[in-house]
Amino acid sequence: MNTDGQKERVFQEDDFVLIQTEKRVTDTKLETKPTTFIRDALRRFRKNKASVAGSYILGVLILLTILVPVLSKANITTVRSQEAFLAPKLFEAGTGFWDGTMSYEHVVYDTVNEVPALSEKYSIPAVKASIVDITIDPEPTLIDAANNYATGGYVMVATDAAVADRNTLLTSKATAMDANNNYWLDVTFGNEEIVGNSQQGEYAVYLLAGDEKLMLRDFSKDYSPLSVNISEVLANAGLTSTRAQVVFEVKSSTSALQFILIENAILRADESAANLEELEEISIQDATQFVLVSDTTSLSYWSCTGRKGIHSAEIYYCDYTLDTYFLVYGDADLVTYSASELNSWIEAGYCTYDAKVGPESFTVLSEDCPIDVVESQTVMGITKKLSSITARGWGYKKLGYDEMPKFLFGTDNSGFDLFKRAFTGLRTSLILGLLTAVFCFCFGLVWGSISGYFGGNVDLWMERFCEILGGVPWIVVMTICILHLGNNFFTFVLALCLTGWIGTAARTRTQFYRFKGREYVLASRTLGSSDTRLIFKHILPNSLGTIVTSSVLMIPSGIFSEATLAYLNLGLQGRQSFGVMMSNNQPYLGVYPYLVIFPAVVMALMMISFNLFGNGLRDAINPQLKGSD
Amino acid sequence: MGKYVAKRIGLALMTAYIILSLTFILVKLLPFDRPIGGDAQQIAYFDKQYSLGYVYRFDHEESQYGEYLYKSPAEHGRSNFYYQVPVMTQYVNWLKNIITKWDWGYSKTFQPNVSAAVIIGSRIGYSIRLNIFSVIFSVPLGILLGIWAALKKNSLTDHTISTLVMVFISIPSFVLISFILRIFAYDLGWLPSSWPTESASTAMKAQGYIIPVFCLSFGSVCGYCRFTRAELCEVLESDYLLLARTKGLTRRQAIIRHALKNAMVPIFPSILAEFIGILGGSMILEQLYGIPGIGKLFVLALNYKDYDILFVDMAIFTTLGLLAGILLDLSYGFIDPRIRMGAKK
Repeated sequence: MNTDGQKERVFQEDDFVLIQTEKRVTDTKLETKPTTFIRDALRRFRKNKASVAGSYILGVLILLTILVPVLSKANITTVRSQEAFLAPKLFEAGTGFWDGTMSYEHVVYDTVNEVPALSEKYSIPAVKASIVDITIDPEPTLIDAANNYATGGYVMVATDAAVADRNTLLTSKATAMDANNNYWLDVTFGNEEIVGNSQQGEYAVYLLAGDEKLMLRDFSKDYSPLSVNISEVLANAGLTSTRAQVVFEVKSSTSALQFILIENAILRADESAANLEELEEISIQDATQFVLVSDTTSLSYWSCTGRKGIHSAEIYYCDYTLDTYFLVYGDADLVTYSASELNSWIEAGYCTYDAKVGPESFTVLSEDCPIDVVESQTVMGITKKLSSITARGWGYKKLGYDEMPKFLFGTDNSGFDLFKRAFTGLRTSLILGLLTAVFCFCFGLVWGSISGYFGGNVDLWMERFCEILGGVPWIVVMTICILHLGNNFFTFVLALCLTGWIGTAARTRTQFYRFKGREYVLASRTLGSSDTRLIFKHILPNSLGTIVTSSVLMIPSGIFSEATLAYLNLGLQGRQSFGVMMSNNQPYLGVYPYLVIFPAVVMALMMISFNLFGNGLRDAINPQLKGSD
Repeated sequence: MGKYVAKRIGLALMTAYIILSLTFILVKLLPFDRPIGGDAQQIAYFDKQYSLGYVYRFDHEESQYGEYLYKSPAEHGRSNFYYQVPVMTQYVNWLKNIITKWDWGYSKTFQPNVSAAVIIGSRIGYSIRLNIFSVIFSVPLGILLGIWAALKKNSLTDHTISTLVMVFISIPSFVLISFILRIFAYDLGWLPSSWPTESASTAMKAQGYIIPVFCLSFGSVCGYCRFTRAELCEVLESDYLLLARTKGLTRRQAIIRHALKNAMVPIFPSILAEFIGILGGSMILEQLYGIPGIGKLFVLALNYKDYDILFVDMAIFTTLGLLAGILLDLSYGFIDPRIRMGAKK
């Protein structure tokens, strides 16, 4: 409005309209709605972005704990060892991340079957087909121990004590040697001065024919190859046909343990000799195999009086990545089924098969058929009755799945789905926390109100009681409760409630002390309000915010307490429990880290979001902040 | 002040007495676990219990005492029968034993016939040493982080520190231990994955402290950081700091001479209480890392059903908790002249 306008305008009587003609003057109703306590709290809660994020995460987690145990069909009750330790899988295998594959480093490589040496639980074709990626070390590693997957090396024959006259004899099995055929012994030695705390020592090689000792090489330190025609030696000694043994003798010494290294000791003969096969068996060609055979079975062609070991055997290591799902649920494994099993499938209408035609006649009729391809069949008797078939089929069908399973968090040592287990356990924990929080809230509120409102002697004695009860560590209370009342859900609730309410009571008491002396309470009291009205109308609403927040935060502390007890071997029995699951998985941290990491992440998320939510809630429902900002 | 201290200590002693008595009675009320085998040790144990007044001994069966707990061969081909003494009588005897002989009982199954005091004594050293290192590590770090966050209030630094503190304070200790073990012990292989044995080298033993100290410190670093930040922020906005600036001190001078000094007043007492308080917090850590401390003893005693040892261990945790509380209260009163505790309102 400018001054010019005012001057120009002349007001007439008609320009004015009466607002009101009645005598009673009232305020006009406000156009905007008045804000309620809840709406105001919600508005302030929304301002705190972290709390909003926290409550969303919390919401998702709680939703999962409600839905997962109901909707997931995965198995968490029957132990299935073949499905144990499947890696977490979200994406398809080969994507390299969260894809159900497991990488292993420095694993012994089985050069014969060309697979990494895995446990015998899985068949070689299945392992071969499941490998996503493999790198074999180009150079072999030398080891001094017998290993099924090692090759070559030297047989190390050593004395077992550093004393005189305790020579070690390595004696072969006696075999026929005649003068008509030519028999040879070819020996090659390894040459190393010192192995461990033993020294390379003097040795002799001789032939033992009956009582006669025919020296092939006398005691010396000559490790050059030895090649002798045994028949000539026998003939020189005047023996034509006899049974003879080859003996290596290592001379003992008082200074140190003595050893020799034998690379090969091959007995051979002319083609016409009768015992060629036996000679082959006695010969030492692959030191590792020789030591393994004579160590593990009774089939020993050589006997040794001292120590017999392996030195510098070659072993290959590899790094590989394995698709654990294909290994268990894949179709690479050949399995033999009996004819009756096949017949039951035919009767069920899964497939057709004609034993007279053979494997080609196999046709799959239904998706439920556990096998896809028949590789071969065996028949028996003159009637050529079918006895069994060897077939290939998808593992998941055999285990009762409709499609290849996918475990988001993998499976644990019992083959349980970790995802379902985690959320079923979390549900138990949440219910536990919630029950505890509700009880503690109710009881603590009443106790704290009485103590805080009345004060004086009542307060003093109630405080002393709380102090004594609060002085007992919660772990002691829980332990004693569990020992006395047995380990079950309600013992846990009881034990958590026993000391849990003290916090709520203390907080309520402080709040009552704070507000009971305020002017508005005094005013109300002067006007004749009863104690009930003062408590419920004036003091409690003001103090509720803090108390509610602390009670909400009792839920995660309940979860935490349960998990802590599980780590102390006192975990909740008889129900799926989060803490028990976590502490059971703890030993696998080294090999299967996902078993611990996934539940740990869920737990940490739960705790963080609860705390964020609680903090936001405290600020939001604090009546003193009402209308501020 | 003197009266207040005396009252506070008296009250704490009273509380401790009541709690320990209740715990003792509750533990003694547990069903008795009959020993199996191990005769010589069991006989010695029961004779000891008899001399301490916790069991009766007869050379024949006495029907009025219920089922016998243990039967041991005695001279002349006869047998000794041991019966449980009524719990309240045991309680009186227990008090007598503690007051006159400082005898806290003997281990039954865990380390048969070794006195509880010896067992605790051989283990408490590990827990205390771990705690000292943890306090030395966590207090300066926590306070420094807190000061840094407070001085840069509402900056990126402050937000980062506060968020991290929030996150780490929320993560349960066993989760944290799992992660640290996984990363530093298994994946990187820098540190041992469990407590080194007695025969390990000194370097190895020193390395063995790193993970436990780190895990124990995490919570308290976060706690101190939050506490210091809150205190310092409050002081920084106070009138006397404004006055200090007005009379010509630089920001640095004002903070060092006035703000820090005043902010530290409530922090120092809590260090003392913290030192004692985290002794109880290391139970899971000791269990997971295999540290032979009193926390691990709790689990072992439970597994062995060795309730006498369990009771003494519980008593230690209870006493430590009470001690921490009373130290906190008292040191507040001594250090901060503004706080007059126990004063009439």
